[in-house]
Amino acid sequence: MPEFTCRLKQYRLLKGLTQEQLAARVGVRRETIMRLEKAQYNPSLKLAIDISRAVDAPIEEIFLFD
Amino acid sequence: MKSRKARLMVCFGVFCALLLAGASWYSLACNGGRLVYPMDFSTYTFRPQDLPMLIACGLVILYVLSLAVLLVRRVLANRRRQADASTARAINPKFGFLGFLGFLGFLGFWTYHIDRTVFPCIFFMFFGFFGFFYEGKLSNTLMDERYRENQRKAQSAANRTALSIIFLATLILGQGRLIGSLDYAFIAYVSVVSLAFALELFLSEFLLYRYDHDETPAGYED
Repeated sequence: MPEFTCRLKQYRLLKGLTQEQLAARVGVRRETIMRLEKAQYNPSLKLAIDISRAVDAPIEEIFLFD
Repeated sequence: MKSRKARLMVCFGVFCALLLAGASWYSLACNGGRLVYPMDFSTYTFRPQDLPMLIACGLVILYVLSLAVLLVRRVLANRRRQADASTARAINPKFGFLGFLGFLGFLGFWTYHIDRTVFPCIFFMFFGFFGFFYEGKLSNTLMDERYRENQRKAQSAANRTALSIIFLATLILGQGRLIGSLDYAFIAYVSVVSLAFALELFLSEFLLYRYDHDETPAGYED
């Protein structure tokens, strides 16, 4: 899995969303959001776009690849 | 299957069974037990008295074939439904106890000594039902993309393991003389292949559960 930094938690908290709420909005499980925030899961392009729309932040700001 | 169709199938099955029983009785009473007792079909010549038994056997075969077709269609429909479903199928983990049926495989060693058949050895495959313990724990889980990815990963690892075992068994037992007798090599081969299938069934569920639940990060918060 490629190394990357995920700033999802920061943007999620800015929007005032819980992991559960964000998961429900993008149609995944809470555990998936949890692993995403820890950069332990590499999401599909569709999920990345859905998340970016849900937290109102550009994808490249949320997922930082070296 | 709709209940009307199921009722029809049961009625047809009962009708076939009654017809077969009647035809057997007729054959025993009026036809010297032809087609009931084992006979040499290479010298068979048709007699009109054989007709009831032939018709009954034909209907039973037709019934069994229609049951097989229904079963295959049902399995395919279930698979399609599962592929489109958003949650994992709900199953009781207690079905895992069916795995103990795998011990029926040892019957193969007994039947080999009785009439040299090793067919029961394939019952070792039932050990794979132990996987229901883990599938049951994942009942109704939302199948998001991570779940499906883990599912593919687990399936692939399980298939690789089973195929490696089958390949090695073919390579080693295929020489036939390893255990000193071709018969014993064949029994060992059937047993190993059945156990490999069981392992594949079990591992695909066990690994999926492991990938999905282990390494839980400490970052959970609401």
